[in-house]
Amino acid sequence: MLIVVDSHNGVPVYRQIVDQVRFQVTAGLVGPGAELPSTRGLSQELGINPMTVSKAYGLLEAEGLVVRRAGLPLVVAKRPRAVEAEAKATRLGALLEPVAVAARQLGIDNETALDLFRRALKDVTRPEESRT
Amino acid sequence: MNPVEIQHVSKSFGDAVALADVTAAVPRHSIVGLIGRNGSGKSTLLRHMTGLLLPDAGECVTLGLPAAKLGPAELARIGVMDQHAHFVEWMTGTQLMRYVSSFYTTWDRALERDLTELLEVDASARVGAMSPGHVQRLALVLASCHHPELLLLDEPLSDLDPIARQTVLRLLLDRFSRDDLTIVISSHMLRDIEPVVNRIVCLHEGRLVADADSDALRERFAEWIVTSRAGSLPSAFDDPFVVSAQGDAHRARLLVRDVAATDAARFEAAHDAAIEARPLTLEQIFPVLTQQASGQGRPRDAAEAGGVAR
Repeated sequence: MLIVVDSHNGVPVYRQIVDQVRFQVTAGLVGPGAELPSTRGLSQELGINPMTVSKAYGLLEAEGLVVRRAGLPLVVAKRPRAVEAEAKATRLGALLEPVAVAARQLGIDNETALDLFRRALKDVTRPEESRT
Repeated sequence: MNPVEIQHVSKSFGDAVALADVTAAVPRHSIVGLIGRNGSGKSTLLRHMTGLLLPDAGECVTLGLPAAKLGPAELARIGVMDQHAHFVEWMTGTQLMRYVSSFYTTWDRALERDLTELLEVDASARVGAMSPGHVQRLALVLASCHHPELLLLDEPLSDLDPIARQTVLRLLLDRFSRDDLTIVISSHMLRDIEPVVNRIVCLHEGRLVADADSDALRERFAEWIVTSRAGSLPSAFDDPFVVSAQGDAHRARLLVRDVAATDAARFEAAHDAAIEARPLTLEQIFPVLTQQASGQGRPRDAAEAGGVAR
């Protein structure tokens, strides 16, 4: 699993780590059982305090996204389908929030905004759907 | 027990107040960034931790002892790097390392070799002929090879180029991961130390303005880009959480602190505006920490754990 952070964009690094692991797991880029980098390894690789990594991993564990096994690397947890679906919805919701703010700032009404989102969805139709 | 406890320490040199009632703690196995402008008291505070300076009032307790009472046994557990080390100039790096190592029973020759190589220290050169950057790297080797449990570094990055700074910081992280080590590092290189430290102690004109977990400190501040739909933003905001504001009736940039959960929604409704909140870096928070401190009364709540003075 690749984790990259920008230590200078203001977002606390532990949150960047949590967000990235969360994204990779919910998007299915890494499946259950996939190993996370060790705390010391990630700390060295990114040049960040190991406690920052521990903090991020602790939050992911509390969230049920990863599981800790004594003396072994953390792995991505196996989660029920319903939980997975909810996590995906939460993720998209968070991404849409700034878009909603922009719509308000631009004074675009709800119907127009939804139309625009539908059009955007159409533009990135999945390959298997475009063939039909 | 915290490796270092600074309790109401005050220190003056003649009429000049260097430290004014400073209370702060360095928790075990943490990397503390000691920040502040030139002359804010960083070096003076570090010198109190080893008993090189004694307070006029208050006490600095290091490794369980008042710093004035530190003996050889305790000092052997501390590594110190001075801002501008004055080493014996006629010795070569190797001679100096042999000389310094003779004071310690725990000196690690293998670690010495590793660090000398990693930091590209030319140990065969005479110390007097080394550039400031090389002396600084040698000083770090000399402070580290006896496996100290407390490492006090005064401006260890000041004479280093960007590559060497990263090498040094990664080395410190590596030492920190392997040994049960506590590090205090004073620096102006806020961008460099920000990802490495997990606590911040900030001094301003001898007074403590922050002693907090670095994430918690950062999350207390934010920048709001406020866009008004009606173009009706006031020229000044009287909300208590607004630190500063600039802009016009349509758009404003606000620095905010300690915003409560409901504040943003209430603010948006009150001004018929939309807020785009952005996090701030340590470098952006630093001026706020040091500005608010001047011209106001002595910070009262700063000594509380995780506290930041208003």
